[in-house]
Amino acid sequence: MSGNPLHDGLRLEPTPGPTTLVIFGASGDLTKRKLLPALYHLAHRGRLPAQFAVIGIARTPMDDEGFRTQFHDAINEFASKAPWDEIAQSLASRMYYLAGEFDDAGFYERLSARLKEIDGAEGVLFYLAIPPSVYGTVIEHLGSSGLAAAPDKGWRRIIVEKPFGIDLASARELNQLAHKHFSEEQVYRIDHYLGKETVQNLLVFRFGNGMFEPVWNRRYIDHVQITAAETVGVEHRASYYEGSGALRDMVQNHLMQLLALVAMEPPIAFTAESVRDRKMDALLAVQPLVSTDGDGWARRDIVRAQYGSGWVSGSEVPGYLSEPNVNPASTTETFVAARVYLDNWRWAGVPFYLRTGKRLPKRTTEIAIQFRRPPLEIFRRASQTPVSPDLLIINVQPDEGISLRFEAKLPGTRMQIAPVMMNFRYGTTFGGEVPEAYETLLLDAMLGDTTLFARHDFVEASWALITPVLESWHTRTGPIPTYEAGEWGPEAANELITQDRRRWRTL
Amino acid sequence: MTIAQPAEAATEVPFTKIAEAMAQRVCQDSAASPMRALVATVVAVGPPERLVDAASALQTLGDAGTVRGILISEGTNQAPPPRVAGNTVALHGLKPEYIDNAVGALRLSSLPTVVWWRGGQPDTLDGLARLAERVILDADDPQRTWERASRLFEDSAFSDMRWARLTQWRALMAHFFDMPEVQAACTSFTRLEIHAQDRWSAALFGAWMTTAIRFGKGFSVRVTDGADDVAIEGIELGNDEHQLRLQLNERRSSIETSVSVPGHRGATRLVPLTDQALSHTLTEELRIRARDAAFERGLRAVLAERSRALR
Repeated sequence: MSGNPLHDGLRLEPTPGPTTLVIFGASGDLTKRKLLPALYHLAHRGRLPAQFAVIGIARTPMDDEGFRTQFHDAINEFASKAPWDEIAQSLASRMYYLAGEFDDAGFYERLSARLKEIDGAEGVLFYLAIPPSVYGTVIEHLGSSGLAAAPDKGWRRIIVEKPFGIDLASARELNQLAHKHFSEEQVYRIDHYLGKETVQNLLVFRFGNGMFEPVWNRRYIDHVQITAAETVGVEHRASYYEGSGALRDMVQNHLMQLLALVAMEPPIAFTAESVRDRKMDALLAVQPLVSTDGDGWARRDIVRAQYGSGWVSGSEVPGYLSEPNVNPASTTETFVAARVYLDNWRWAGVPFYLRTGKRLPKRTTEIAIQFRRPPLEIFRRASQTPVSPDLLIINVQPDEGISLRFEAKLPGTRMQIAPVMMNFRYGTTFGGEVPEAYETLLLDAMLGDTTLFARHDFVEASWALITPVLESWHTRTGPIPTYEAGEWGPEAANELITQDRRRWRTL
Repeated sequence: MTIAQPAEAATEVPFTKIAEAMAQRVCQDSAASPMRALVATVVAVGPPERLVDAASALQTLGDAGTVRGILISEGTNQAPPPRVAGNTVALHGLKPEYIDNAVGALRLSSLPTVVWWRGGQPDTLDGLARLAERVILDADDPQRTWERASRLFEDSAFSDMRWARLTQWRALMAHFFDMPEVQAACTSFTRLEIHAQDRWSAALFGAWMTTAIRFGKGFSVRVTDGADDVAIEGIELGNDEHQLRLQLNERRSSIETSVSVPGHRGATRLVPLTDQALSHTLTEELRIRARDAAFERGLRAVLAERSRALR
C-alpha cells in the first residue's frame, strides 16, 4: 500500500509520526511558560502522535515524577485550556527526566540509552531551550555521541532558540558547528514571531490576493513602520538582557523577519526553500545601517536609548539601572529605532522605520503600510480637515488581524472627509481557537516543515547588518540616552522620522 | 436569545427592511464587539422543532459577527413576517416553492452560501443546492435526503453532520494507518466492528473504510448497539489476534486509541473528544469549501448496500 488512502478527503491536518522531544533546559522558564503548555494544547487538539514522549534535560536534580509535577504546575499557571485533566495525565505519563551536565560525554550515553527504551524514538527532536553559551557544547556532544545521526527509519532534528549568536562571527561559528553534525534540513532556528497566524497570513494576504501586490511598491507606498512595543521592563531576564539589548534581542531576529516578509518578492511556490530564498533576497537588499566610510554616523539611521523611571500601565516603575541584577553603569539599550532602506526596484527610496522597546506605553506589535496620498488633493478646499493617507495595518499581537484605514465622506450636505477603519480579526472571524506560535512551530518541526524557521544564511545576513552597529556603539563612551518609562522612546526617535517629514503612528 | 420560536424575543420587520434592521442591530452591538468580518450566509431549513437548536447555533456564530443566518421552516404562508435578531433572520411557515427566492434575496453577496438542511421536501433541496456553494445535510432520517443528494453531487459540494462528527474518528483511524506495521497487517484483518447508537453514522464509517482500503476476502462490517448518549461509542478493526481500537471513555470526554499489530510495540493514547456542540460542528463545517470525495464515495456505497439489502 503506498501512502495512506484514509487521508484522502480527510479534513484534519496531518499528525506527526512517532516522535520523542528532548528538551535541553527542561527546568527553565521557556519550558515552563511556553513549551509545556504548547505540548498540552497540541495534545488537546489531538495533534500529537500516539508514539510520543518527552525527555526533559537539565542540571537541576529531579526525577521523572518531579518533571511531571513541573508539567502539572506549568499547565495550571500558563496553559489557556482547562486545568489538569485526563489528557494532561496521559501526556505526563510519557514525560521523563534526565539530570546531568551538558559537557559530560557520559550523560549523552545515558540519553542514548534512554531513547532506546522509549517508544517513539524513531523521530527525535532536540530542543535547545538553554543559554546560547552552551549551544556549542550540546551540539558538539550530540554529534560526537552519534545522537545527531538518524537511524534507517527515522529522523533527527534540532530546534535552536534565539539568539543564534551574538554577532556575525559567533553566528557563523555556530552555523559551522551545527553543520558539522547536522545538515541544514535538520536545523530549525526558531523565531516565534513566524509562528503567529498574522505573520503567516501576511504571505496569504500578499500572494493569495490579486489586489494588493500591484500597489505593494515604491509607486504607491510612502513608507512602512514596524513596531514591537512592550510595557514590561527587563523583569527577571537581566543576566541575559545585559549581554543582549534590544538590538540583538528584537531587531536582529523578529523585526528583520517581519521586514523580510513585507519586502520580499513573490516566491514561485509555497515551499520552504522558495519562501526563504525570497526573504533572503529582501534582506540582502537592505542598505547598511551604519556608514562605513566615516566614523560610523555619516547618516543618523539608528537611535538607541534606555528607559528611566516612569509610569506604565497604572504603576510607577523603576528605571533600567535600578532593576535587579543590572550593572548600575550599564549602557545596554532597551529601545532602538531605525530607518532602513532597501536597494531594489520595488523599494528604492521607501523608508522602513523600525522601533522596539521596553517600558513603552502599550504592548503591541504591528506592521503599518502607509500609502502615498492621491496625486491631486481635490478635496483640500471643500473639506476643511486634511485628508489622511491610506493605511494598512497588520496587527501581529496582541490582537491578531488586519485593519485598513481610508477616507470617507461624512454624511451631510457639506463635503467633509474623515478616516474610517475596517477591521478583520483572527480571534473571531473563523471561530475556533487561534493556536499559539509555539504550538505551530513545534508541530511544524515534528512534521519536518522548515518554512517558518530561519535559514543559516538569513541569520548571518541579519547579523551582518547589525554587527557594525554594535561595533559602532561599542566605541562610544559616556552614558546612553534615556527615555521616561511610559513614553514612546527618546526624542531622537521622533527626530529620526520627523526629519523625513513623517511621524510615528499613534498607537 | 433565539428566534426560532415566535414567542421568543426578536424584531418583526418587513421583508424589504431586513438588511437595514440587521445593520442597525450590528451597530448597536458594535460597542461590545466592533470587529466583524463576515465569511458566509448560512441557511438553515427544516421543520420548526429542528430549527430551535439551529437558531441557537447560528446565533452563537452571528454574535461573533461572522455569518448571516437565515432560518426557514416550510409551511403554506406566502409572506410570513420576517423576524430579525442580530445577524439572523427567521421566516416561519414559508411556502416551499418560495424558499429559494427568499434565500436569493437575503443572502450576502460575494460570499459563500451554505445550506444546512435539517429536513423538508426534497424538491426544495434541489432548488437550494443550485443556489448554494455547500449543502450540509442534517436530517433525522437521512435515507430520502441522501438518495436525493447523491444525484446533486455535481451541482454543489455536499456534506453531512453525521459525517462531520465522524471526522475525529476517521482521523484517528487514519493515523493508525500512518504506521507501516498497520499497513502491513491490514490484509490479515477480517472484521470491522462499530458500536453505535446511530446506525447511519456507523454505515458511513464502514463504507468509508471499505471503499478506501482493500481488505481480504470474507472481511465483514458489523454494527452493534452502542450506548444511547453518543452516536458512536467504539470502533475495532482487526482479527482474533490483532486489533486497532478506538473507544470512548466512560466520561464521554476522550477517545482512547490502542494498537496491537505484529512488529509494533503497541501504544495507547488519550485524545479529547472534540466539542460536540452544534455551533462548534457548524464552525468546523464552515471551514470546508471544497467537494468531499470521500463523503460522496462513502454515501454512494451506503446507498448501494441498502439497495442490495432491499432487493
